Amino acid sequence: MTARILIIEDEALVAMELRFVLEDLGHRVVDTVADAKSARDVVRENDIDLALVDIHLSDGPTGVALGRELGQEMGVTVLFMTANPGMVRNGVAGTIGVLSKPTDERAVQTAVDYALRRRQGEPVMYAPPELQLFG
Amino acid sequence: MRIPEVRLSATTDKPAWNEADRLGALRAYEILDTPREAAFDEIVNLVAQVFDAPIAVVNLIDEGRQWFKAETGLGVRETPLETSFCAHAILMQDSMVVPDATRDDRFSCNPLVTGEPGLRFYAGRLLKSAEGLPIGTLCVLSDKPRPEGPTALQMQTLQVLAAQVMTLLDLRRALAAQRQSEAQFRAIADSMPQMVWSTLPDGFHDYYNARWYEYTGVPEGSTDGEAWNGMFHPEDQARAMSAWTHSLETGDPYEIEYRLRRHDGVYRWTLGRARPIRDEAGEITRWFGTCTDIDDLKRSDQAKELLSQELSHRIKNIFAVVSALIALSARQHPEAKAFASAVRTRISALARAHEFVRPHTETSRPTVGSMTLHAFLADLFKAYSDLKGEPRILLDGDDATFDDQAATSVALLFHELATNAAKYGALSREDGRVTLDTRRAGDRFILTWTETGGPAVSGPPTHTGFGSSLASLSVEGQLGGRLERNWLRDGLQVVADLPATALSRRRAAQNVA
Repeated sequence: MTARILIIEDEALVAMELRFVLEDLGHRVVDTVADAKSARDVVRENDIDLALVDIHLSDGPTGVALGRELGQEMGVTVLFMTANPGMVRNGVAGTIGVLSKPTDERAVQTAVDYALRRRQGEPVMYAPPELQLFG
Repeated sequence: MRIPEVRLSATTDKPAWNEADRLGALRAYEILDTPREAAFDEIVNLVAQVFDAPIAVVNLIDEGRQWFKAETGLGVRETPLETSFCAHAILMQDSMVVPDATRDDRFSCNPLVTGEPGLRFYAGRLLKSAEGLPIGTLCVLSDKPRPEGPTALQMQTLQVLAAQVMTLLDLRRALAAQRQSEAQFRAIADSMPQMVWSTLPDGFHDYYNARWYEYTGVPEGSTDGEAWNGMFHPEDQARAMSAWTHSLETGDPYEIEYRLRRHDGVYRWTLGRARPIRDEAGEITRWFGTCTDIDDLKRSDQAKELLSQELSHRIKNIFAVVSALIALSARQHPEAKAFASAVRTRISALARAHEFVRPHTETSRPTVGSMTLHAFLADLFKAYSDLKGEPRILLDGDDATFDDQAATSVALLFHELATNAAKYGALSREDGRVTLDTRRAGDRFILTWTETGGPAVSGPPTHTGFGSSLASLSVEGQLGGRLERNWLRDGLQVVADLPATALSRRRAAQNVA
C-alpha cells in the first residue's frame, strides 16, 4: 500500500534518511518540514495519510500539540518519532504511538505498516514490539 | 562576773576561700547598689523586733566597704570596712556573737564602740552563696551589752531568716539569668536570616522573630494563634494545615515546602520546619520552627533541570544523527549495507542504555517501568519478541540497579549475544528461546545466558567475530568480570561473572566513603 507521508523533523540528516527508507518501501514523501507552522501549511494544502512527528522541532517542543491537532482535527494518522519518548509517556489523544530514535529500517517499516492498517480500519492483531502504543 | 567570751561557732585563722572568689560570688548576684526592696526590709525589721535591738542589717561585704541591702536603725546604706563587725564575722564558719564589745579585744577600740552610737552587742549569721562563699551577714546590733547572750530562739530566727535572704538572692540571680538567656535567644533569633517562630504544645503561635515581621510585613502579633495559615498561598493552606496537624498529634518533626506571602504580596517558595521540645517526662512543652526562603534555590534547581534535560535531549539526538549518517553513507555502497546495519543496531543499544541511566526528571523518565537491570534488558530485548509480541528472551532471578558506567557495557554485551542468537543461535528458529538468569551470590553478580531450541551445537566456532570480542571486552575490560562460553549440545551458554559492585560502581564507592 502506498501512502502519502509528511516527515516533521528538524534534524536534516535524520529526515533525509527517513525519506529514503520510506521511498524504498514505495511510499510517497510529500514533504519534509522542521517546524509546526510549516507542517500545518503542508497538511492544509495536501492530502496526507500519515505524519511522522518529532517532538522537539526547530520552533521548540511543539511536536506534541502539533501531533494532537493533526490527529484530532486534520484527519492525519500520527506516529511520533523521538529520541525522548518520556515526553509523551502519558499518551497523546488522536495519535497512534511513539517510536524511539535511533531506530532501524525494519522498525520503521513495521510501525508505518501498522499505522496505515489502523487508518484503513484493517484488523491488526499485534503491534510491532518497538512501537509504544497510546490508549 | 565572768569575762564573756566571744562565742564562735568555729575558729578559723585562715578561711578556705580566697577574697577574689568571694568578691566574684558577691558580684555575680548583681545586688550591690540596688534600691531597697520590701522583702529584705521586712526581714531586718523582724530580726530587730525578735532581738529587741535597735539595729538590724542585711550586710554585704564588698571591697573596702560594707553595703546594706536592708537596714533598720542605721540610716545609711554603706560604711567603711575598718569599723565593721561583720568583716570579722565572715571569717567565722556560720555565725558570730559579741555579747559586750568593750570586753572583746577585736572591737574594744572600735570608734563605733568607744564613740557614737556606742555599740555593745552583736549577733550575725553568715550569708553564703551556693558554693559556700560568705558574701555578708544578716546581723543585729545593740548599744546595750547582753552578757547572757542571745536566746536559742533568737539565734534560730537569725539562721532561718539568713537562709531566706539567700533564697531571695538566688531567686533574683536565677531570674536574671533567665532574662539574659531569653534576651540572648531573641538576639540570635532576630539576627537570623530565617524566620523563627514558636508555639504552645497545642500549636498556638505565640512568638515570631523580627525577621518574620520584616519579611511578611504584617503587624506585630497579627499572626498569633491560628492566623499564620492565612499567610500561605491558598493552594498550599490545606496541605500545610494537615501536615502541621499531623505533627501536633504525633510529635513527628514538621517539614513542608509552601509559598509564603512576602510583604510585597509575592508568594515565594519557603521551607517550613519545626521540632518539638520535650520535658523530662517526654511531654512536648513547645514547638520551635523556622521558615527559610528557598525560592531562588528552587528556581536555580529548575534551571539546572531544564539544562540537564536539554543536554540529554541533544545527546540522544546525536545518536539519531550518527545513525542516520551511517545509513545515508551506506546507501552509496550496497556492499557495506550489512556492516552499516550492524553498527547502527549497536549505536541503538547504546542510545537505549543512555536513556535508562541518565539523570531523569519526572517528565523524562523512561516510559518502561523503573530503571533497573531487568527493565533495561526487557526493553533492549523487545526487538526479539515473537510475532505475538511475547518475549523470547526470558528474564529471571535478582534484579539490580545499575549506573551509567556499567550501562554501555551491559548494553553492548547483551546486544551482541542477542544479535548472534538471532543469526546463528536459538533465536534463529521460531520456537528457540533464551533464558537470562541474573543472580547475586555473595560479592559476585552472575548473569547466565542459556539458549535452547536452536540448531544443534557441535562445538566452539572456528572463527571468532568482532561481536564476540566486543562482548568479552565489555565484561573483562570494562566491568572487571569473567566471561565464559560453554558450547552445550542444546545451545550456547554464556556466564558473565561480575563483582557485585560492577553494576553500580559509583554507589559502591559512596557506601565505602
